[in-house]
Amino acid sequence: MTREEAKDKIVEILKTVHTINPEMLKNITEKTDFITDLGAPSTELVNIVAKAEEKFSIEFEDDDIDDIGSTMGDTIDLVLKYVNKKQPAL
Amino acid sequence: MKPRKVAVVGIGGIFPSCSSIDEFSSKMFADKSLIREWPEAILHGKKMRSTVSGYTSLEECGLEEVPSSLLVNYPEIFKDKYNRIPIGNLSTADLGSIWAMLGTQDAIKMSGWTDKEVRSEHTGVVIGSGAGGNEVSRKSWHNFFELDKKTRYLGSHNVDRVMVYRDAANVSCLIQSKGVCECIGSACATGLGNIGYAYRLIAFGLQDRIIAGGIEGTSMESFIGFDAMQVLSRGFEPEKSSRPFDIDRNGFVCSFGAGIVALEAYEIAKARGANILAVIDNYFNNSDGSGDMFAPSIEGQQRLWNGLLGNNRDRLFPDVVKVHGTSTPLGDAIELFSVVNYLGDNGYHISAPKSQFGHMLGAAGAVEFVLAVLMLKEQKMSPCLNSDRLNEQPETFQREADWPGTKEPVAAFRHLLPRQTVAKEINRIVCLNYGFGSTNSAVVLSRDI
Repeated sequence: MTREEAKDKIVEILKTVHTINPEMLKNITEKTDFITDLGAPSTELVNIVAKAEEKFSIEFEDDDIDDIGSTMGDTIDLVLKYVNKKQPAL
Repeated sequence: MKPRKVAVVGIGGIFPSCSSIDEFSSKMFADKSLIREWPEAILHGKKMRSTVSGYTSLEECGLEEVPSSLLVNYPEIFKDKYNRIPIGNLSTADLGSIWAMLGTQDAIKMSGWTDKEVRSEHTGVVIGSGAGGNEVSRKSWHNFFELDKKTRYLGSHNVDRVMVYRDAANVSCLIQSKGVCECIGSACATGLGNIGYAYRLIAFGLQDRIIAGGIEGTSMESFIGFDAMQVLSRGFEPEKSSRPFDIDRNGFVCSFGAGIVALEAYEIAKARGANILAVIDNYFNNSDGSGDMFAPSIEGQQRLWNGLLGNNRDRLFPDVVKVHGTSTPLGDAIELFSVVNYLGDNGYHISAPKSQFGHMLGAAGAVEFVLAVLMLKEQKMSPCLNSDRLNEQPETFQREADWPGTKEPVAAFRHLLPRQTVAKEINRIVCLNYGFGSTNSAVVLSRDI
């Protein structure tokens, strides 16, 4: 999975987070911060993480969730770490 | 110190089968019943003894449940179809807390308070509920314990939607008040208990303004608990189910709703030219001391009356006594005899609002207080609906040697218990509410004349 593909799926997740105004999701970059740029309460991060687990069919370790940042790039990094782990060796 | 006078300057709430407080007022004084068959109870078939309730559907209060994609049957958030409550506040609220916020908006609008006054350290919030956030809790724990879901799938809003003082907390966050934010819990006296506590905070100078009230969000758990006790009404058509004082009464109707009032130090309200809906003359509460969790006590209720009116009995003699009147066999009779014991048997009427909308548990005292304010406004008193036939024989307990009250049967007091709304001059009302644990609450409120 590419970073762009992961980003598109995470944007789909953000559209289901009711405290984020969907209008703000049009020009998202990897530097976009969910809290400071999108206005999400910090308490929403765990909701986004849980929805990412469901969306990508993965399960994060608690240590990784504890360390996650609040930008789109941080979330893509975490998702790809687990998605790539899942892919079988050829 | 001499207590300050306290004014009621705003009222609001969520009332069964009503879309506004105006509709509530018109139905109450048109002798309508707000009680219906409750589909949610009917769903459970023969497991349920009673299936009638005074309730408000999500649709009726303009809300929509958005289910979680991560959990089974779990409300991620309730959306407000009319955009009355900001989404951030909705995210931290269960249904009852949303009702508290909607009632607060109406009460503040009526009060004429400015944003500066609302966001003051002299403005507080005191709102309680009878039960916890049962509907959210049940679904959370089912997903965790039975379906083995991770805790993080609950998101961050489980605690704020089930904590004991969630209604007060959500209202305070909505209006950004800076004063006291607490809840009082006293079972079915909760609604009046919160208003009474708020009255004291203002009367003794600790706050100038308070949003106060009681909430009981829709909850099968509350209904089931009382149904299990065999204390809910059964065997009547819905609108006939709640029948305080009637000889055939066999239990109360479990209902849900919210009552909110805006209270303000009288002199401050007067100085700004507020529309003063009522003045609270006094509030008093006590316990029976009988050691009995459930049984009412005429002795405890006599001490309640004495504490409320004391040496001012004649000056504060009410035109209307708004009783707790649940439609349970023992409670109604003892309450009636207690009122008669203290006030005599003429010069006032008794209003039993639960006959029209059932028993809203933690919201009951607050919704009934709101109705009392409407009685002062409309100069009409709501009836004891369905009190069609009164017992002409003394109750069993009246035959006991140590019974301290009247020996006359309930039927001897027919003239105090009107079956229809009465239009008359109403300058003063006493409101009574009691709760499990033998707790008693009473308030006396007057027209500002």
